Amino acid sequence: MSATGRLGLFAFACLLLIPIVWQLVLAMPPFGAHPLPYADLINAAAPAERHVTNMVSAVNFDYRGIDTLGEETMLVCAVTGATVLLRGQRGEQLEAHPGQVENRPIPHRSEAMLLVGRLAAPLTVLFGAYVALHGMTTPGGGFQGGVIIASGLLLLFLAEDYRGWRRLMRSWLFDGLEGLGVALYALGGLAALPLGLPFLTNILPYGQPRNVFSGGLMIIENLAVALAVCGGFVVLLIEFLEETRVMSDGEQE
Amino acid sequence: MNLLPWIVVAWLMLAGLYGMITSGNIVHLIGCLSTVQSATYVLLLAAGYRHGAGAPIFYTHPPGTPAVDPVVQALVLTDIVIGGAVTALLLALALQLHKRRGSLKPDELRALHR
Repeated sequence: MSATGRLGLFAFACLLLIPIVWQLVLAMPPFGAHPLPYADLINAAAPAERHVTNMVSAVNFDYRGIDTLGEETMLVCAVTGATVLLRGQRGEQLEAHPGQVENRPIPHRSEAMLLVGRLAAPLTVLFGAYVALHGMTTPGGGFQGGVIIASGLLLLFLAEDYRGWRRLMRSWLFDGLEGLGVALYALGGLAALPLGLPFLTNILPYGQPRNVFSGGLMIIENLAVALAVCGGFVVLLIEFLEETRVMSDGEQE
Repeated sequence: MNLLPWIVVAWLMLAGLYGMITSGNIVHLIGCLSTVQSATYVLLLAAGYRHGAGAPIFYTHPPGTPAVDPVVQALVLTDIVIGGAVTALLLALALQLHKRRGSLKPDELRALHR
């Protein structure tokens, strides 16, 4: 279909849909002033039942933990798909040189970049670990912490250049971390089955409220998510950066 | 004011759809898809909002303080992470498309000739 044809069809669809959507907007419950029964239930139950203070983590890792298992599986599928598409076509090389676009020389690594990168990367990784560890008490958790750790490791790329970074980031490690994370999450859920309890039952001691190690099984599920998210995102970073290297003979450009 | 969040949701969704339909580049199209997805974040967070309530974290406030809905926040949290991974998958597809067909313009990508 031509561009004008597509646009015409879109305008026609908008003409039909906008009155319906407007009716929907008018029929929505009043913003900020409607009852939230599920929220009230969780906010009342989780601090007393699970001894945690972060309700979002309580939902993610306990009350709706099986959703997170599905979500972890989706993450692995998406990362595996991207890896198969990229690494499967190209292969892997640790010692290759970065590629170069014609007439655009690669600038020399500046010492300021080296210093800032080497300082910022470990601090960012540490901050990510802090966010992931305190998932049960204060805002944070495995999802946010895992992404922050992965971006901290990407900062090393700015400091070390392509070759140095690629030597540090071994894909077997991060492939393994991602798989381990999802397996740990599933095993944490399965642990209750031999005791005759339903999947993902929280069987560990809950600990003290406002303590980092509160929440029982949620600590393990939180760790599993942190490993899976960090591993998954670093695998994606490795694959996309390997696309920029010089291809050796026999590899598809 | 009461209608503003829902209007923002509809507007983000429409703006993303318009971008996808008129897009001249697959990478731009993937960006527009992310815009459509962000409409769902606004919708979920707006649905869980409550006037005068704080975050659903009872570290400094005792349990029982009015708090917004933690369920939709957990949904948005996982949605964002999944969105990032799916965007990476789509970009990997776009990269392969460019290697094989030499173009990312939807109009230049016709069905394969047999």
